[in-house]
Amino acid sequence: METSKKSNSTVRNNREGLKGWLNPARYGWERVSYWFQRLTGLFLLIYFIGHVYETSSLTGGQAAWNALLALTQTVQGHIFLILVIGASTFHSVNGIRLIFTHGGMGLGRPGRPDYPYDALSLNYRQKSGIWISLILAALAMLYGADVLFGTK
Amino acid sequence: MIRESLIMRIHYITGISALFVVAVHIIMRLLMPFDSSIEYQNIIANYHNIAYSILLESILVLIAIHGFNGLRIMLLELRQNRLWENGVTIFTISAMMTVVAYGTRTIIVAQGLGA
Repeated sequence: METSKKSNSTVRNNREGLKGWLNPARYGWERVSYWFQRLTGLFLLIYFIGHVYETSSLTGGQAAWNALLALTQTVQGHIFLILVIGASTFHSVNGIRLIFTHGGMGLGRPGRPDYPYDALSLNYRQKSGIWISLILAALAMLYGADVLFGTK
Repeated sequence: MIRESLIMRIHYITGISALFVVAVHIIMRLLMPFDSSIEYQNIIANYHNIAYSILLESILVLIAIHGFNGLRIMLLELRQNRLWENGVTIFTISAMMTVVAYGTRTIIVAQGLGA
C-alpha cells in the first residue's frame, strides 16, 4: 500500500506536461535538438496539410490556381518557403542521427560514472551530429533563398 | 494492438523513404526556372505523367503516416492514460486518412484536367 502510494506520488511529480516538454534548460544541446526535432516536425506537418490544400486549387482550373499562386508568390511566401526548407533539412539530418542513436550507434562505450556524472552517451559524436544538422539546414536555406529570390 | 517498436520502425522507414521521394519532387521543380515550373500547364503535365502521379501519391501516404504518427508520439509524451491514448490514436488515424483521401482526390481529378 505504502509502496503503491509512493510510486503514485513519484509519477505525479514527474508529470510536468507541456512545461517539461518546453523547458530548454536541462540536458544541454541534446535537449535543444529534441525540441527542434519536435517543433520542425509540427511546423512541417502544418505545412504539409496546407500544401495538400493549396494544390487542390488545381481542380478549380487555371484561374483558381493562379489566384492561389498570387498569394504564395510574395516576399512573405518565399520567406515562409525558406523556413520550410531549413526545417525539413534539419528534421531529416537530425532524424537520421536519431535513427542511428536508437540503433545504439555513436553512443560510445559504457564507462564508470565519475563526478560530474556527465552521460557518456551524450558525447562529441552526438553533438557534432546536431551541429551538422544545423549547418546543413542553414546552407539549404541559403540555396533556397538563391532559387526563390535569385536568378535560378 | 500493434507493438510500439513496430510503429517506431514504420516511423523510421516512412521518414527515410519520404526523404528520397521528396528529393525527386524538388528536383522536378528545379529542372527549369522555379517560376515556370509552377505554371498551371506545367503542373497539369506533371499530373498527366503516371509515374509522377504515383510518386506524388507515395509522398502523400508516406508523409501523412510519418507526420501524424510523429504528432501522436508528441501527444502521448504529454499525458498518459487509456482514454487520452485511445483518443489521440483515433484522432491521428482519422486526420491521416482525411488528408490522404483529400490529396488522392486532387491527383485523380488533376489527371482528367486538360492543360
